[in-house]
Amino acid sequence: MFKLRYILGQIIAFIPFAMGIGYFSDSPSYTYHDPEKALIMVSFSHASEHKDECRRFSQEELSAMAPNMRRPMDCSRERVPVYIELMMDGQNLLSQSYNPTGLAKDGAASIYESIPVEPGQHEISVKLRDSSRESGFDYEGNVSINLDAKELFVIDFRKDHNGFNFQ
Amino acid sequence: MVLIFNEMSAMNLIEWRDEFKIGIDEVDFEHQELIELINEIYDEAKTEGSILAVSDSLGDIFGKISAHFALEEKEMRELNYDQYEVHKEDHEQLLDSIRDIMDEYEEENNLDEEDFGNRLKDWFVNHFSTKDARLHKFLQH
Amino acid sequence: MLALKLLLRTGFEYVEDCFDIIFGAKWNPFYQLGALGWFYYWIVVVSGLYLYIFFDTGVTQAYESLEYLTHEQWYAGGIMRSLHRYASDALVVMIVVHLLREFAMDRFRSARWFAWITGVPMLWLVFAAGISGYWMVWDQLAQYIAITTAELFDSLPFFGESIARNFLMDSKLSGRFFTLMVFIHIAVPLFMLFMMWIHILRHASPKVNPPKELAIGTFSMLLILSFVKPALSQAPADLKIIPATVNLDWFYLPVYPILNDVSGITVWITLILATIFLMFIPWMPPGKKTPVAEVHLDNCNGCSRCAADCPFSAISMEPRTDGSNYKLEAVVDADHCVSCGICVGACPTATPFRTKSNLSPGIELPEDKIAELREKTIAASEKLTGDDRVLVYGCGKSLNPAEITNEEVGVVTMPCIGMLPPSFIDFVLSKKLADGVFLTGCRDGDCSYRLGIKWTDARLASERDPHIRKRVNQDRIGKYWAGLTRSKQFFNELTAFRQRLKKLSLLETETAAESKQSSEKVDV
Repeated sequence: MFKLRYILGQIIAFIPFAMGIGYFSDSPSYTYHDPEKALIMVSFSHASEHKDECRRFSQEELSAMAPNMRRPMDCSRERVPVYIELMMDGQNLLSQSYNPTGLAKDGAASIYESIPVEPGQHEISVKLRDSSRESGFDYEGNVSINLDAKELFVIDFRKDHNGFNFQ
Repeated sequence: MVLIFNEMSAMNLIEWRDEFKIGIDEVDFEHQELIELINEIYDEAKTEGSILAVSDSLGDIFGKISAHFALEEKEMRELNYDQYEVHKEDHEQLLDSIRDIMDEYEEENNLDEEDFGNRLKDWFVNHFSTKDARLHKFLQH
Repeated sequence: MLALKLLLRTGFEYVEDCFDIIFGAKWNPFYQLGALGWFYYWIVVVSGLYLYIFFDTGVTQAYESLEYLTHEQWYAGGIMRSLHRYASDALVVMIVVHLLREFAMDRFRSARWFAWITGVPMLWLVFAAGISGYWMVWDQLAQYIAITTAELFDSLPFFGESIARNFLMDSKLSGRFFTLMVFIHIAVPLFMLFMMWIHILRHASPKVNPPKELAIGTFSMLLILSFVKPALSQAPADLKIIPATVNLDWFYLPVYPILNDVSGITVWITLILATIFLMFIPWMPPGKKTPVAEVHLDNCNGCSRCAADCPFSAISMEPRTDGSNYKLEAVVDADHCVSCGICVGACPTATPFRTKSNLSPGIELPEDKIAELREKTIAASEKLTGDDRVLVYGCGKSLNPAEITNEEVGVVTMPCIGMLPPSFIDFVLSKKLADGVFLTGCRDGDCSYRLGIKWTDARLASERDPHIRKRVNQDRIGKYWAGLTRSKQFFNELTAFRQRLKKLSLLETETAAESKQSSEKVDV
């Protein structure tokens, strides 16, 4: 007698449990990007120039140093921040400075930005400054693209591969 | 001379026999201890010492025998003794009997020492010479 | 914090009361959460092995091989895939409920910190396993998971190159990545199995298998669910687009949407702080440690019943140190003993009939001595009157003695009902200290110290040493495993028991009178 009740009990309790598992295993859906828009990403790492020029040590400085520490050039390890400017159709999407990583600020700067944009035809212009110059840019890239909704456009930068490339 | 001798020497209810040895030291040691205790309590009962004292002693024997049986059973299990169930059943029955004796003693406050003595003796000697002896034989192989 | 714990505990007990009615105490899933977890784990492993045979590692092959299984082989591979997914989801539910319940029921105190602490890393492991599993499908959900997880790792300061970039461009992804994922997805659950083993290491006879009927029931549930709603992949991953809308498995990925609004490093810090907080729970107040069990060698002959009964493997039998004739002695490991006293209930020398010698048994709790238990027994029964006098023995984890003494019934409590040597019941009844003995404790199936109720039931049924003496009239023994929330039923049972005792007394006086009459007749 009891057993029947317990079996029924299992059925009664397991139905909502199963429904819960079934439902929440893939619902509700989650939207984290407007499906009507496209996405431009700027993603790369780049080691900029060092902050100061290397200079020679003077004779006095050399003799003042311990013999094992003597080296001819004094080069600063610190790098300058990397400055990026991204324009689309004349509009500024991104103007940001990125600091080099590392305790001595001598590592590469890492850029990882996501910018949702309207789909359609666009003129993209991206500029990068990685030296200690006051104005102007060291690298530049221009491209004309036609984006669909949800399309991903990645802007990469490789110094030894002619600068900017686009995916 | 003879009279005095009889009064002074208390006859042991159960005399130790080497046949009571089963071959496991600690168990045999406890057998000896228990027989001593039983003999003591039989003496007490005969000399009609305080009734309380005898029932106290019974309680202690009960505890000691329970522990003894527990130890014996552990040994039997470890040795995969084939007659374990039967032997254990005997133990449980004995413990029930001792409890019977204890309760009778409580209620009647009066002990027929002959009967008491006989029951204890019969039971123990019987158990020792049958169940424990069988165990001893098993252990010898 | 304590209020929260009490709230949780009361909540659990009410829910469990319902389930005791519809599932029965033996099949109540709430007493088997760990065992159900193990069961779901095995379903996941076995179905996983099947999937492993058919899964191809490769940028497009991964998705295609799963599509084949799900559609072409829907009757086998598809079912296996669904079982794999749904059992994994059920496993997460079990783990979380199990964690909450063990917290609510205080099952982490004293030496039980070990089980608690070894459980915490498994939270990380199960989520890592699930996430890597979804990653392998390489549909758009996987793509989303890949990028978001990589971004999460990138937010940590020690990675130079961004990992997420690998998932932004097709050129960077190769078949070897899937081999890596398969490796992770097998290694993490395997390590988790190792942790599961360690987790239960200190428990004697741990429950890792749910009762057969419950197992069949829940497996059927998963199977039916797999037929009704097969597990499907979402659209294949396409790194040229951003998936935008994904169907998350909320059991494994609840943290991911948060990452949209909160920085990765904040999430890391929160998770790590939460983990550390969980780890410290065993030491949260009030943590009073009761002294562990003590062995008295002059009364211990090495019979090993205490070691056999200890639910926490805290007693071992070691070579004798006191020069006596015995081979072994019981030794209590203070790091494992939780002071429940179940060992004392098993000890043959813990019998109240011993009055000549000092009543110190082979093993006992220094703060709950057997001699004291006897005194309390006598004191509690002294004031009782009538022919339905009852002495209640109960455990400190369940009843409130004050509630019961109102009923003109004697009450004696101890840490766990398993501490009561059966000969105490014999003692009370044969010396007529009470007309009946009533036992109570935690809910049936849910002894706070794991095995107290089970051992007590078995000792009274002469199935486990020490057997209660057969001559004890079991009609004069009652029991109801009440826990905290069942006082009404407890009192009902107690009243019914007392009525039975009254009838019994009546019957006995009648038969006594009859036999007196018949013996008188004979005389005449």
